[in-house]
Amino acid sequence: MDLALQLLVNGIINGSHYALLGVGFGLIFGPTKITHFAFGPIFAVAAYVCWAAATKLGMPLAAAALVGIAASAAAGVLSYLWLYRPFERQGSSHLVVLIASLGLFITLENAIGIVFGTDTKVIADLSPDIFLWGPVVVTSIQLWQVAALALIAGLLAAFLRGSRHGKAIMAMTDNGEMAQIIGIDTVRVSILAFAAGSAVAAVPAVLILFKEGATPHMGFVAVFMAFVAVVVGGIGSFRGAIIGGYAVGIVENIGMWEIPTEWQSTIAFVVLFLILLFRPAGLFGRALR
Amino acid sequence: MDYLLHILVMVALYAILAGSFNLLIGFSGLFALSHAAFFGVGAYTTAILAVGYGLPFPWPLLAGVVVAGLVGLAIGLPALRVGGEYLVIITLALQVIAVAVMLNWTSLTGGTQGIGNVPRIQVLGTALDTAGRFLPLAVAVAALSLWIAWRLGASPFGRALRAMRENEAAAQAVGKNVVAMKLIVFAVSAGIASIAGALYAHYIAFVSAVSFTIETTIYILAMVILGGTGNLSGSVLGAAILVVLPELLKFVDLPPDIADKLRQVMYGVILIVMLRLRPQGLLPEHDEKRARVPAGLGGDGLATLAPASPADGAVTVEGRGLMKGFGGIVAVQDFAIDLQRGRIIGLIGPNGAGKTTAFNLLTGFLAPDAGTVRVRGEVVSGRAPHRIVRAGMARSFQDLRLFRKMTVLDNVRVALPAQKGDRLLHVYLLPWVVRAEERANLGRAMAVLRFVGLEAKAGELAESLSYAEEKLLVIARLLATGAEVLLFDEPLSGLDPGTMESIFPIVRKLAQQGKTICIIEHNLDVIRGLCDWAVFLDEGRKIAEGTPDTLIADPVLAERYFK
Repeated sequence: MDLALQLLVNGIINGSHYALLGVGFGLIFGPTKITHFAFGPIFAVAAYVCWAAATKLGMPLAAAALVGIAASAAAGVLSYLWLYRPFERQGSSHLVVLIASLGLFITLENAIGIVFGTDTKVIADLSPDIFLWGPVVVTSIQLWQVAALALIAGLLAAFLRGSRHGKAIMAMTDNGEMAQIIGIDTVRVSILAFAAGSAVAAVPAVLILFKEGATPHMGFVAVFMAFVAVVVGGIGSFRGAIIGGYAVGIVENIGMWEIPTEWQSTIAFVVLFLILLFRPAGLFGRALR
Repeated sequence: MDYLLHILVMVALYAILAGSFNLLIGFSGLFALSHAAFFGVGAYTTAILAVGYGLPFPWPLLAGVVVAGLVGLAIGLPALRVGGEYLVIITLALQVIAVAVMLNWTSLTGGTQGIGNVPRIQVLGTALDTAGRFLPLAVAVAALSLWIAWRLGASPFGRALRAMRENEAAAQAVGKNVVAMKLIVFAVSAGIASIAGALYAHYIAFVSAVSFTIETTIYILAMVILGGTGNLSGSVLGAAILVVLPELLKFVDLPPDIADKLRQVMYGVILIVMLRLRPQGLLPEHDEKRARVPAGLGGDGLATLAPASPADGAVTVEGRGLMKGFGGIVAVQDFAIDLQRGRIIGLIGPNGAGKTTAFNLLTGFLAPDAGTVRVRGEVVSGRAPHRIVRAGMARSFQDLRLFRKMTVLDNVRVALPAQKGDRLLHVYLLPWVVRAEERANLGRAMAVLRFVGLEAKAGELAESLSYAEEKLLVIARLLATGAEVLLFDEPLSGLDPGTMESIFPIVRKLAQQGKTICIIEHNLDVIRGLCDWAVFLDEGRKIAEGTPDTLIADPVLAERYFK
């Protein structure tokens, strides 16, 4: 029973992480409809820049984290302006843009490996507090992961509902063509979406750096988990992405009870496969056309 | 020297992989990014059978083809339900799962250790243990594999695949069974890819999951995109370039790890640059010279395709009590219609009246909630669209749905009925039958094009036609199905009156030849000028029917129409 409780708590913690990834990815995919695979390596950029700022430049962690987040947002915007926008202007199909995105994915991931090496980068003198709640163990970083989701989701909800730019993002998510017709500058909204989505994803990236360290390959899992969260929850719904993230985190951890550890990372892919196969609209989402 | 020969062996193996991948993504438009998994299935099957059970070449290879074909069918299943980006994601997930199985099913695959000491292939008592000795076999097998792929791509089946790629619904509407086509092409592509895997296992004498990851899939993808989708020579070229090019890095003094990463960066950049600057690849699919059609074809042939029958007014299509609702909204309610041989019937009504839905119900693109459709007395409702086409009723689409990246001729040729070349058995075992049929079909297709006046455009891509010509091609393609009942969804919309007048006689002539024709049309002049009878539909119900003049004169209907 104690194990089950611990697994559930781990599931909620990982779920918060996945939910944030899902929200960040959804923030980009929703309005732009770009299947942004390079979301993964740009997520990794945040962690690596934060690591470099903290260890090479000796910046305090909070400042280094902000630098990492800013770098991720900038990289996201550049990926849009330099890669996706020209394809959009060319009138390329979604599929062509997706393949180009895969190209950027593999380019960036390996460029990171060349620049930083393949060893795991950790911030050495980091010793998170450990809390014992009855039979359950959690660390302060894990609590941060949960808090980050609550904080960002709250801010994002206020932004999307309350501000003009936020409403423009929602309008474009709903119907891009219509948004353009009523005079929304879709290019600017796309830039904003890439900046915001990449910044949101940078937060879990930095937390993962603190928790486990950074590897060039970390973006691969990140972009897939973002997919899984979005697909499970239903595309076009932020609430869905959060629920989806939690669902995957919990299923993945509870699954450990019965399934050998080496298969853990496969569980999410099997979930993704089954959902796309049987409920392409997601468990909670609106039906897709 | 051995090093050069080794590179050539790798070119041969990757040519097989790129060619088979091209069948999926280039010819069929199925972006299933799990090709390295098929490669791996072939390699592992060979390694397991050769090491564990001592089976000699080529048995493990053949077993690998069968296993990979089955895996291909399994991976093809999602393609029946989802397309486009979803297929990409779902197959990438499958690719990851496949590698996880290779890594974790230790008792079978050796886990992270892989399987070593795969025996060399023995030919006449000589072990093919060097690149030089292996090369002739690799080239021969690659040539055979590519021939299999080429034969498929160049056959009528391959033409149908390209039609499916261009527009799936339109492919169904010309009688193609897209479900079967997808499964077949997945199985064939996977089977061919596994051949490369089997050779690889014997050649390297070692298999391990790291060779079959997503990176490998992207590597092969880059070859296909670089060479040109839909062109197998392009894939061979793409494979050659992308095998040789990274080898140049060997001349720069780099740590192996960095060199490997630089290679990956190179593939990524090549993918992006090609898609941006030359998305059709180095060797494009469409070749103007090859597409040119010899003059003087199609003098006859229309008669064999559409034997004139008496325009006797006999009822050929009976729709009864058709119902369709979407969620809470009733789109079509209790709809009944009779279509008659030799008559042109107009389906009119305001926007959203349910006219296109009625067509969808008649032709099987939507399954009716209730009601039946009979064609020549035979109940066809509940059947898949392609089977209704074969039963003799075909339809066109309001939004045309031409096969845009195919030639005008191929748009028509693919629609011709009962092609033996659609079956792999004929394609591979009775090629002369297919060849004879193709010759006859070329004539028939040209006859159809001549009938609508497009014979001069036969060799051009459909996307280069003018709007009026596109509309004519829609008619030609529909006619080519050989169906007796032709349902036209707004065949004349958007045309200027002059062009419209020139199409009238074509439709009338079809009716005189005994076709049963139904037309959805908004333009009342067209209805008046063309139709013998008109059915007025509003809010999913039949409100009235009669001669066009009486319906148009009816003030109540006029008010509904213009509301």
